Amino acid sequence: MVKRREEEWQRYYAAWPLKRPVMAKVVSDYFVRLHSHNFAWIHSLHYGVLRAHLYFRPTAPAHSTHHSAVSHLSLAVPSSATTMYQAGYHQNTAPPDMAQLQATMRSIELACSSIQMHANPAAAEATILSLNQSPQPYQACQFILENSELANARFLAAGAIRDAAIREWSFLETDYKKSLIRFCWLFIMKHAGSHEGYVQAKVASVAAQLLKRGWLDFTAADKEAIFLEVKQAVTGSQIVDVQYMGINFLESLVSEFSPSTSTAMGLPREFHEQCRTSLELDYIKEFYCWAQDAALNVSHRIIGSDSAIPEAKVCSAALRLMLQILNWDFKGKKNAVESSKRGLDVYCGDIKPESNFLGRSECILVQPGSLWRDVLISSGQVGWILNLYGALRQKFSCEGYWLDCPLAVSARKLIVQFCSITGTIFPSDGGYMQRQSLVQLLSGIIQWIEPPNAVLKAIECGRSESELLDGCRALMSMAAVSTPLVFDQLLKSLRPYGTLTLLSVLMSEVIKCLMENLSEEETWSWVARDILLDTWTALLTLDSSGHNDLLPPEGISAAANLFAIIVESELKAASASAFSDDNEYDYLHASVSAMDERLSSYALIARVASGATIPFLTTLFSERITRLHQGRGTTDPTETLEELYSLLLIAGHVLADEGQGEIPLVPKDIQAQFTDVVDADKHPVVILSGSIIRFAEQSLDPEMRTSFFSPRLMEAVIWFLARWSSTYLMPPEENKGNKSGENNNDAQVRLEHSKNALLSFFGEYNQGKLVLDIIIRISLTTLVSYPGEKDLQGLTCYQLLHGLVRRKNVISHLVSLDSWRDLANVFANERGLFSLNAAHQRSLAETLALSASGMKTSEASNQYIKSLTNHMTANLAELSCKNDLKHIAQQPDILLLVSCLLERLRGVASASEPRTQKAIYEMGFTVMNPILIFIEAYKHESVVVYLLLKFVVDWVDGQIIYLEARETAAAVDFCTRLLQLYSSHNIGKISVSLSNSLLSEADTERYKDLRALLQLLANLCSKDLVDFASESLEAYGVSISQVVFMGLHIVTPLITLELLKYPKLCHSYFSLLSHMLEIYPEVVAQLNVEAFGHIAETLDFGLHHQDGEVVDLCLRALKALASYHYKEKGMGKVGLGSHATISKDPGGKVQEGVLSRFLCSLLQLLLFEDYSTDLVSSAADALFPLILCEQNVYQNLVNELIERQTNQMFRLRLTNALQSLTNSNNLSTTLDRVNFQRFRKNLHSFLIEVRGFLRTL
Amino acid sequence: MSDEEHQFESKADAGASKTFPQQAGTIRKNGYIVIKGRPCKVVEVSTSKTGKHGHAKCHFVAIDIFNGKKLEDIVPSSHNCDVPHVNRVDYQLIDISEDGFVSLLTDNGNTKDDLRLPTDESLLTQIKDGFADGKDLVVSVMSAMGEEQICALKDIGPK
Repeated sequence: MVKRREEEWQRYYAAWPLKRPVMAKVVSDYFVRLHSHNFAWIHSLHYGVLRAHLYFRPTAPAHSTHHSAVSHLSLAVPSSATTMYQAGYHQNTAPPDMAQLQATMRSIELACSSIQMHANPAAAEATILSLNQSPQPYQACQFILENSELANARFLAAGAIRDAAIREWSFLETDYKKSLIRFCWLFIMKHAGSHEGYVQAKVASVAAQLLKRGWLDFTAADKEAIFLEVKQAVTGSQIVDVQYMGINFLESLVSEFSPSTSTAMGLPREFHEQCRTSLELDYIKEFYCWAQDAALNVSHRIIGSDSAIPEAKVCSAALRLMLQILNWDFKGKKNAVESSKRGLDVYCGDIKPESNFLGRSECILVQPGSLWRDVLISSGQVGWILNLYGALRQKFSCEGYWLDCPLAVSARKLIVQFCSITGTIFPSDGGYMQRQSLVQLLSGIIQWIEPPNAVLKAIECGRSESELLDGCRALMSMAAVSTPLVFDQLLKSLRPYGTLTLLSVLMSEVIKCLMENLSEEETWSWVARDILLDTWTALLTLDSSGHNDLLPPEGISAAANLFAIIVESELKAASASAFSDDNEYDYLHASVSAMDERLSSYALIARVASGATIPFLTTLFSERITRLHQGRGTTDPTETLEELYSLLLIAGHVLADEGQGEIPLVPKDIQAQFTDVVDADKHPVVILSGSIIRFAEQSLDPEMRTSFFSPRLMEAVIWFLARWSSTYLMPPEENKGNKSGENNNDAQVRLEHSKNALLSFFGEYNQGKLVLDIIIRISLTTLVSYPGEKDLQGLTCYQLLHGLVRRKNVISHLVSLDSWRDLANVFANERGLFSLNAAHQRSLAETLALSASGMKTSEASNQYIKSLTNHMTANLAELSCKNDLKHIAQQPDILLLVSCLLERLRGVASASEPRTQKAIYEMGFTVMNPILIFIEAYKHESVVVYLLLKFVVDWVDGQIIYLEARETAAAVDFCTRLLQLYSSHNIGKISVSLSNSLLSEADTERYKDLRALLQLLANLCSKDLVDFASESLEAYGVSISQVVFMGLHIVTPLITLELLKYPKLCHSYFSLLSHMLEIYPEVVAQLNVEAFGHIAETLDFGLHHQDGEVVDLCLRALKALASYHYKEKGMGKVGLGSHATISKDPGGKVQEGVLSRFLCSLLQLLLFEDYSTDLVSSAADALFPLILCEQNVYQNLVNELIERQTNQMFRLRLTNALQSLTNSNNLSTTLDRVNFQRFRKNLHSFLIEVRGFLRTL
Repeated sequence: MSDEEHQFESKADAGASKTFPQQAGTIRKNGYIVIKGRPCKVVEVSTSKTGKHGHAKCHFVAIDIFNGKKLEDIVPSSHNCDVPHVNRVDYQLIDISEDGFVSLLTDNGNTKDDLRLPTDESLLTQIKDGFADGKDLVVSVMSAMGEEQICALKDIGPK
């Protein structure tokens, strides 16, 4: 329990992006302890961290920025914390002074109690912190651990040992390190029976962490010595508590070595990886065996006794450890093919149509490799654990054991884990041994879930559901490691039916339970359903190569039965919820992903048995429609509408896959069935699709629309049409099978035939065009006749229409349709669609512009764009010329008009394609002047300003690489004027308002504007990278880099520190800046002092930013600057010139060169400040050229640093470390890849060597 | 809130109209809207339905642009709302008088002396401090539905 909380806390803290003062950890650890029996612990945890920050932050700068009086260029060294010495903690070299140790203990105990009582907590925290921070506090801590009566004090002392030892590790003597670990081990052994379990757990975890810290330094013999004792405790001891503590220690150790749960300890990832590998190779199997022995030894006693005995504690701990070890991410001899089979490895997994297999219920495959065969498989462990649990089941009526007692829970978990063992651990005997093992497991598990109705009834009557859920999980694990056929066969040896039948019956029962208790709060049936659904998903998405052939007929009918029950329950739920206003059921919003995932799993089940399920859906659908028509005008159709809504969603999922940006194929299962269908129009899929489309077509009739087609039903219709059309409507020719009949047997020929019949039925030369026309007319109806229905119109614009114009063979037909021309005409020339939501208008404009590429010739395409946009651009131009623009501009109707037009133009601009580029350029060119006029007229209307900027951003983005030099010059000139105008309106502007939220809105608007401006600059930059122009830009005197630097110079003053708190803005600003410095250092050199000063300040700010990525960007920029300077100097040129040299400013103050300033602040950062270790490599890349540029400055800094060191030992170490930083690894003075790499290595080892004492002393 | 209730002013004087009708569905966040007779800026729009198969409604949360009070309204999204004509004009600040009025220079060289300083302390200090520092200040005056208020100031003086 204690350990878990601690881990939770660590996870919580790891998620905390701020730099962390040590204090935060100490104090909050303490708070966790303090409230360990209190539900409010998490609250106090936050409080603790907060207090720690409050306490620690203000004092830190006071002694960390101490500047030397001699030179301006000095490294600030934090002065030592003095409290400790006053309190009397001393180094362990001194002989133990009892009185002093007593005093220390008393002060810590006092601090603990005063925190607990909230008496002067700040002082108490300071005392505790000083213990953690003091050099070598080990003796004091050990004294406290051994002598203090106060458990909290002991807990803190253990933590202090850990913190101090990790910090000082590099200069502790090896023997001393070992003695610390040994002390911890002996402590937990000695106090194994203690009541304050959390202290023991803490000490065990300290021992584990220290052991890991020294893992690579200790000799094998050292480790053997330690583990011998552990083994003795775990397996040889007869004392329950000792065994328990031993297992506990191993648990800490394994979790410390497992990368996901390990403590960072300020060490690079390689270290953790080496430790992991070493443990996996040498020890982890032994640990497993010890745990198993321990469990075996006590299990017969547990089985033999009638009531609970203390050994149960050991047994359940041992089982837990075994489970933990089986959860280990084995890397060793893993078979690559095996591991990629499931797509578990994200890098080599094959793409699956639905990748939700590892969805809600996680299933981790256990693949320990062949070395484990003897332990896990041949030794008969499976039988033993099943027996143990079987015996436990008999005892559930006894006192001390129940279904959810710890021992039963860990035994069940271990059994479930055994089900997912797979891989090379089984001999290559065609899977025989694995099947045997699974059958054996199933024989035990089957009792948990069979007979399903009786089990479920018992749960409804109050029995715990955990056994059933674990049974379901076991089924899922089995499904994950076997093919459907093997899975089905497993049960055949035990029962007259297969596992699939059992699965189907079990799930049907669960769903019936769900239906009966729709409104109740019981969650177990939901959980069970989800696990079972995942089981089906695991079985049916096994691999994409026609696995359905493998599903036995019995399995297919089981699936069909199950699907019928599923649909029945969904429809029942739908009609029950028809009148509820509950948004929980609202498909298009929050639950969309969850529901989608569930429906896709249903669809998988339906597709396996599509011969039965698709006609079934057709029947249900026509029943509902008949009911609708019969009841017309007499009964309330709402329930039926809701049922139709659900049916449409289900049918859509069954018939087609989500495209996810690609064109989905007809699902394999559906393709492969219906081989006996000869006529395309009798194909069940065609019949179902046809009846849905005919129904949808009825919405065109106004009367039908008002009576039946509610906005919600229409949403489902549009969604269905979008999903269906991307698979079935005019499928590309190459999707069809080859028609050459050679080598094909009869069945395959029939298969091809029915597949082609299905595909061509809605193809280009058959019904396709007709259906496309219907779809477009329906879309126009939703846009025009459903005023204000944003969701519906959003679906129409984004999913349906946008999906259609993405496909080449569709658009060529699209542009020839009258209905499409109507749509374009209504959009471009009438005012009706101004009432659409602005974003939808933009999307519609983009869609219409994209369809231009369906025209036969490029001229026609450009003409199409022109006719689409002429009216709009003319409108804007005309408006901008009005004399009274200043007065009418802010009228709401004009505002609406201008914003709509701009949104539309922006939509068209983002549809730029080579083919239509000319027309879109013209469009932008015509509105350049109007835009500059509008930016003046609307300078107070930030909404319009943003639209104007975004239009320009998108237009430049789409156009810039294609533009000829003359056009580029015009565009660049326009952008510069835009930037200048924007800046002149906004610089120095202060908004005043009574309302805070309006003020923060104003801030947000500025932020968005600036982001757009930075995007604009970034887009301009791309001209230098990709350029399709026929002549060079220089001829027109345009230099992109100069323009961008000028733009940066205009934009930078607008960016305040407040605004840089928006992470996106901050990132785009710094990435643009560092991009510019990396690519064009020579332009930087030519900047004037003011502009250069800006950049230097910005870099300095970014270097100390909290966000690691920003720091990284700045480091890259620094590397670029320094490398440029160094290389230029080497060639006898000026490099950064005056920027890099020491100069006097007008006031006579000496200004150091920029490079030496950065050298100093970078060293300061690396040695004394907090940063993520990920940054060390890029810091090395920046530091190396800086040192080369400013060798004298560097030498001075180094000397100063050494002189400050008073402790002789540290001084020597520092001198050596600095020496090897610049000299080891054959480092030379050329800036090439090899040298950068060498320097990176050097810096890494340098920092590990010295940071420990530099930061604390 | 329907069209009929809306008072259209005579065509010739359309420029002086205080409000305009606009479909609720087209009013976006950061747009303007009249709620309970007050000109407001919309800070949040959400849509919901009247029953599962009913029509969409817009739920507006808006802030009175003059007094900063929060107001809310629910309108069927196909219906019209009133949108205020919010105008902003820049003036140079000439003087701040003792009795809390400002003196502003208009484009045509006249002065405008009928505008009170805001009563809110922090706004007041921002303006007063700026003016006392001798900066050249331009103030933006926001007017809507017969009310006026200073909404922004800007330093245009030489650096």
